[in-house]
Amino acid sequence: MEALQYLADGFTIALQWHNLVYAFVGVLIGTAVGVLPGIGPMSGVALLLPVTASLTNGLTPDQAAASALILLAGVYYGAMYGGSTTSILLNTPGESSSVVTTLDGYQMARQGRAGAALAIAAIGSFVAGLVALVALVFLAQPLSEVALTFGPAEYFSLMILGLCAVSGLGGKSMTKALIMTVFGLLLATIGIDNVSGVARFTYDIPDLYQGLEFLTIAVGLFALGEVFKTILESDGTEAEMIKVDRILPTKADLKQSAAPIARGSLLGFFIGILPGAGATLASFFSYIVEKKVSRQPERFGKGAIEGVAAPESANNAASGGAMIPLLTLGIPGSGTTAILMGALLMYNVQPGPLLFSDHPQVAWGLIASMFIGNVMLLVLNMPLVKVFAKIIETPPQYLIPLIIAISVFGVYAVQVSTFDLMLLIACGVAGYVLAKNDFPLAPLVLGLVLGPMIENNMRRALTTSNGDYLIFLQKPLSAVFLACALLWLVVPMLLKLRGRQVVVNEEA
Amino acid sequence: MNKTFDRASSILFALIGALFVVESRSISTSAYGSEVGPNLFPMGLGILLILLGLRLFWETFRYRGAVPSAVPLRHKRFLLMLLATVLYAWFLEEIGYVIGTFLFLLAGFRLMGSASWWKSAAVALAFSVGVYAVYVHILKGTLPGFPSWLGL
Repeated sequence: MEALQYLADGFTIALQWHNLVYAFVGVLIGTAVGVLPGIGPMSGVALLLPVTASLTNGLTPDQAAASALILLAGVYYGAMYGGSTTSILLNTPGESSSVVTTLDGYQMARQGRAGAALAIAAIGSFVAGLVALVALVFLAQPLSEVALTFGPAEYFSLMILGLCAVSGLGGKSMTKALIMTVFGLLLATIGIDNVSGVARFTYDIPDLYQGLEFLTIAVGLFALGEVFKTILESDGTEAEMIKVDRILPTKADLKQSAAPIARGSLLGFFIGILPGAGATLASFFSYIVEKKVSRQPERFGKGAIEGVAAPESANNAASGGAMIPLLTLGIPGSGTTAILMGALLMYNVQPGPLLFSDHPQVAWGLIASMFIGNVMLLVLNMPLVKVFAKIIETPPQYLIPLIIAISVFGVYAVQVSTFDLMLLIACGVAGYVLAKNDFPLAPLVLGLVLGPMIENNMRRALTTSNGDYLIFLQKPLSAVFLACALLWLVVPMLLKLRGRQVVVNEEA
Repeated sequence: MNKTFDRASSILFALIGALFVVESRSISTSAYGSEVGPNLFPMGLGILLILLGLRLFWETFRYRGAVPSAVPLRHKRFLLMLLATVLYAWFLEEIGYVIGTFLFLLAGFRLMGSASWWKSAAVALAFSVGVYAVYVHILKGTLPGFPSWLGL
């Protein structure tokens, strides 16, 4: 029961008053971000990353990392929850993982059961958050102990597996996803090589010696990219919103959705652990499963409460599950966790197996705060759902320039350079154009974060083997990882060749 | 799918790959204490990017002629906002955070269709002064202050 002892220590950190405030602010902003159409979890976390960096200025590095992560993770799962509100009330999903919720949620709202749908989504998210948390507590330590036995060759292959998984499922065209991955890895090589100290691709421009800053690129691609899209494409018409009346669900509602919530939570959690398969896939799968399991599948799409309960539980459980590879292996499986990893690296905290022994307060503080955050979400959302629904009515003519101003402030506060502001704007334009043409952005960010680590591990492995590339195949675990990576790319391709529809993961 | 864009971008990515391959040849090929030099990784990736670019180019020939339904784009509004953002970022250090942000937000609110000058100015002023006061005076961070020629 060592894990419980650590968890208790984690709670003492998460319950410090300033961390409670961070968790509260995180879930509050997260819910708002999820509710606002146009900014999803990824742009929300990216936007707040520099802001938290400046907020935690005065703390010691470990405390600052813990507090920043608590806030950012709060934004992450708050957004997962908030996304359901617009799906149900407006029939427009706030982010891609709530797309399926529109199918039955909006129908329920039209039948006057909006309150019940919102409440079930909140309860489902809460239960799923707890399931993911319990699993995280018991899986984290053993997994990180396994990961400690990995050498550089195993790590290299594992990261390749992570990248291939994200690219294989990363959008409409696998070629485009792979291009973005490789491009991200290449961008990561700019700057001083930290093994040999040689400057690469810097052309004597001083700003380039440190490399392109991850934070600038993430904020530009996601936050500014989304804003530019809204500026170009929004036509100013507003959808009719359905009023919320009664909030508490009936006993029958609860009874009907108990099993779907349980199934959705478990399924979502395990899908979340898999790299590349994030919350969006989890919500789709759990919806399909419910439809298969149900005795009256014809009710789905006409306001079945199971169709809200299961996917909303699944997407929250998946965001908890996605924390496992991030914290224990140091490998983010999605765009949002890649940004969280960038945040950890900014504080000089290396996620991975050593995280639990080197920075226990960061790891366990974060895990404990996820529990507290989930309680806050439930307490906040049940009575305040009407208030949050009002956020949708924020006039876009004020919101859009403010988001740009926050991005500029955030990047400037951390980087203090005009070069980074220009890079930010360029990334914003590139983010819009690329996303518009089905080039997924998550693989690029993943490549950018993992690039230096992949390169270091590859070079260390090759140094131990005197330059023999076969080392990656001779180590059994490494060979297994590489084989899985290959399968992850080949199987969807074969399925496509045979004319099967492949479910793809949009940004999540 | 947009055939023209995909074709152009596939060539562009292949060229970027080629650029990295060519440029990595001028990086030293060995490093002390390491079997592989700093040139290997970018060169390998560059080659991979060329191959992927060519593959995408080849794929564009198999696109069927389905034209995506075009959403009317508001190019003028976008270009003006982009220009405002670039000017804001470029002159931020010269004119200081409060003045720059106020002007940018005021212009931005009006561009995006806010009807009232007063309301726009009030929100812009509250944000720029608020962020500056909290960040610089309470959190002790660094933001460009007021320009020296104002004599404040």
